[in-house]
Amino acid sequence: MQRPDWAPETIDIERPSVARMYDYYLGGSHNFAADRAAAQAMVAAVPEAPLMAQANRAFLRRAVHHLAEAGIRQFLDIGSGIPTVGNVHEIAQRIDPESRVVYVDVDPVAVAHSREILAGNERAVVVQEDLRHPEKILADPSVRGLLDFDQPVAVMVVAVLHFVSDEDRPAELLRTLRDALAPGSYLVLSQASDDGRSRDERAEAERVYRRTDNPLWVRSRAELTALFDGFELVDPGVVWVPEWRPDTPESAEDAERAVFMGGVGRLGG
Amino acid sequence: MAESPGATSCPGTFARAWAKAVSGTSYLPMTQAQLESLLHRLTGQLAGALLAEPFDLRAGHRVGAEMVAAHIASAEGLGRTVEVIQLRLVRDLGLVAEDVEDRMARLLAAVATGYARALRDRTLDEQESIRRAAMMARTHAERALRASEARFRHQATHDPLTGLPNRTLFTERLTAALNEPGRGARRIGVCFLDLDRFKVVNDTLGHQIGDRLLTTVAERLCEALGEHLVARLGGDEFVILVESTGGTDDMVKVAEAALEAVRTPALVDGHELQVSASLGIVERQVAGANPGDLMRAADSTLHWAKSAGGARWALYDAERNRRELARYALSAAIPAALERGEFYLDYQPLTSLRDGRLIGVEALVRWRHPELGVLRPDSFIGLAEETGLIVQLGGWVLAEACREAKAWSAGGTAAPFVSVNLAVRQVHRPGLVQEVCALLAQTGLPPERLQLEITESTMMSTAEEPVRALRVLADLGVRIAIDDFGTGYSNLAYLRDLPVTELKVAGEFVAGLQSPAVGRTDERILASLVSLAHALDLTVTAEGVETAGQAERLRAIGCDAAQGWHFGRPAPADRILALIR
Repeated sequence: MQRPDWAPETIDIERPSVARMYDYYLGGSHNFAADRAAAQAMVAAVPEAPLMAQANRAFLRRAVHHLAEAGIRQFLDIGSGIPTVGNVHEIAQRIDPESRVVYVDVDPVAVAHSREILAGNERAVVVQEDLRHPEKILADPSVRGLLDFDQPVAVMVVAVLHFVSDEDRPAELLRTLRDALAPGSYLVLSQASDDGRSRDERAEAERVYRRTDNPLWVRSRAELTALFDGFELVDPGVVWVPEWRPDTPESAEDAERAVFMGGVGRLGG
Repeated sequence: MAESPGATSCPGTFARAWAKAVSGTSYLPMTQAQLESLLHRLTGQLAGALLAEPFDLRAGHRVGAEMVAAHIASAEGLGRTVEVIQLRLVRDLGLVAEDVEDRMARLLAAVATGYARALRDRTLDEQESIRRAAMMARTHAERALRASEARFRHQATHDPLTGLPNRTLFTERLTAALNEPGRGARRIGVCFLDLDRFKVVNDTLGHQIGDRLLTTVAERLCEALGEHLVARLGGDEFVILVESTGGTDDMVKVAEAALEAVRTPALVDGHELQVSASLGIVERQVAGANPGDLMRAADSTLHWAKSAGGARWALYDAERNRRELARYALSAAIPAALERGEFYLDYQPLTSLRDGRLIGVEALVRWRHPELGVLRPDSFIGLAEETGLIVQLGGWVLAEACREAKAWSAGGTAAPFVSVNLAVRQVHRPGLVQEVCALLAQTGLPPERLQLEITESTMMSTAEEPVRALRVLADLGVRIAIDDFGTGYSNLAYLRDLPVTELKVAGEFVAGLQSPAVGRTDERILASLVSLAHALDLTVTAEGVETAGQAERLRAIGCDAAQGWHFGRPAPADRILALIR
């Protein structure tokens, strides 16, 4: 994410990628030695890391399911990473094969991988772009080609906003996206939160992520709630992700161990 | 083998316990209920396998593989599965068999084998797919990099306005052509082309039209010169590379084609523009040539074409270039030479034709050049005038002449005046009066012993300031002479306004006195000039008098004084002064 626009991109698999680290936490093998080493260091610092990733992915699954059940047929997943198990198009297209999904990621390997997985699926595409350039995402021909912004769209910003610093003005980025949406659209947001974390744990996690291209920015519940500006929060609001509409009451136990907080907001109108 | 009588069969209880055991071992993309229902189905398969006759390993393999396919795919997932089956399957389902322990061991082995096989395959598939993705991304990035490099390279080597190659690319191609092995004996040519008065187009029609004209010219040059490289160096300067020529004739053809292409009127934004160009040609053998020298030579040749009036080509002439370089070097050396005292003055007598007395001397500057020997003014004054160094040099001459002349007043007879040439720039420079007054005051030379020689062309400008300055000086008593009278402007009107003391008649009229045929006309001109001068109360000095015969005729006409070899060549002051002692 530090690469300036004009600089040519380089593919360095010796450098850990957050997308592939995430895949490792989920039990996948779409990763390289450097990713595993960084992920293992993260686990040493924060033993719940795999649990965090799994809880977050489960949140994504429940949120997409909820929205699809609510009639949403268009999804814009920004920061989609390695689109392996239980991804948005699998969930949404199982409920309605006509559902349209655009994945957006800045990691060229993740994008190449997505492209391969999505080959042959006419209602799902991937675009290489940065969350920090929402206007470019919105103007992208693939995005415009597949999604109809006159109809509701669910914008997913799941487990990616903690890689966006305050200097990059996350609230403005989300506002730009919001302004492009039709009433009835949704924002699904989750990110690492420091509510209830010790300072040492946070410092260690941040140190691990500094080795990747993506340093970590944790945010409080209040900050996350503020990012839903303009949206009406769907029950139960911004919570530890296991607490968001759990499948079973037990699966919400020890929810704060999941580190991720998230919520779903609906654009009124 | 059968279910034990009395025992209840609860596959649901087992499946729930199994689901609980594996949840959290890896990400399972389903709800707990979906997981339980999946495992419920697998429980049935396990129970069937345990009881089947004969025992079938493949049923266990299938269960292991199905778990992996459902993403229950981690070491922990397998470990817990083995544990829960071993501990609870028989009990929860109330299974009864004679060799149940034996069968259980084989079933677990089969599940673990099927699981490990499937997980290994899946891991290898995923590794392959992520590597393929990395490779594709790298290929894509490299292609993008090459494209951007090519774009950068194109931008760096081309002119954005016309799209022609720029100086960088031209120099590269020229260098490559010169360095190509085995080309030493071949010949190469370069043309520099520059539009004549292009600035006028820009100034009158605006830069936009100017730019459009340049684009048109660029297109035409490319069209006309097809195979040869045409580049734009900047502004309205273009350059053509002819990598292989048979001689200067080939280059002249290229040059004429280029000039013709430019000359055709261009319709730009409703304006029909007709422009011409000047062009400098250099053509030579490849061996011993270097790009910098070739470009410089073509550039200076272009300026020869320009100074000859434009709309033409000029061919490089090494001898002319050498002379120009020498001249340039000489003019650049004047300030240092002044400081080192390399200049000195010789004097030439101005003799009265009435009584043969020495009435004055003309100061003539000499340069004792450390390498070239003594240089006469004609080899450096012109340059000094072009570069403006004449002001500095002329100032020195004036000061030195005044200083030396002051020393001549020792004898009893009236000391001769000193006549000093003033360049146009000196006369037009503000401060001339102060400079002369300061010199007279410093040296103590009486004003009437200083004569300033100016040319007719000095008075061609309409500026009043020089006239006023000369009048002030004349009022002080300084003599003012018009040099080379009769060859220049010869508008007699200025004689009305100018406080002139003397006319110096150009030597060419005097030369004519030798031959009887031309002589008569020249003699009449001279006679008229003398009578005109006398009518205006001016004295006349004839220049270039070389023979006694000429002197005699001049005296007969009534000319007042004469200067020339007949009366004495320029010489150091002491030699001249010996004449009057």
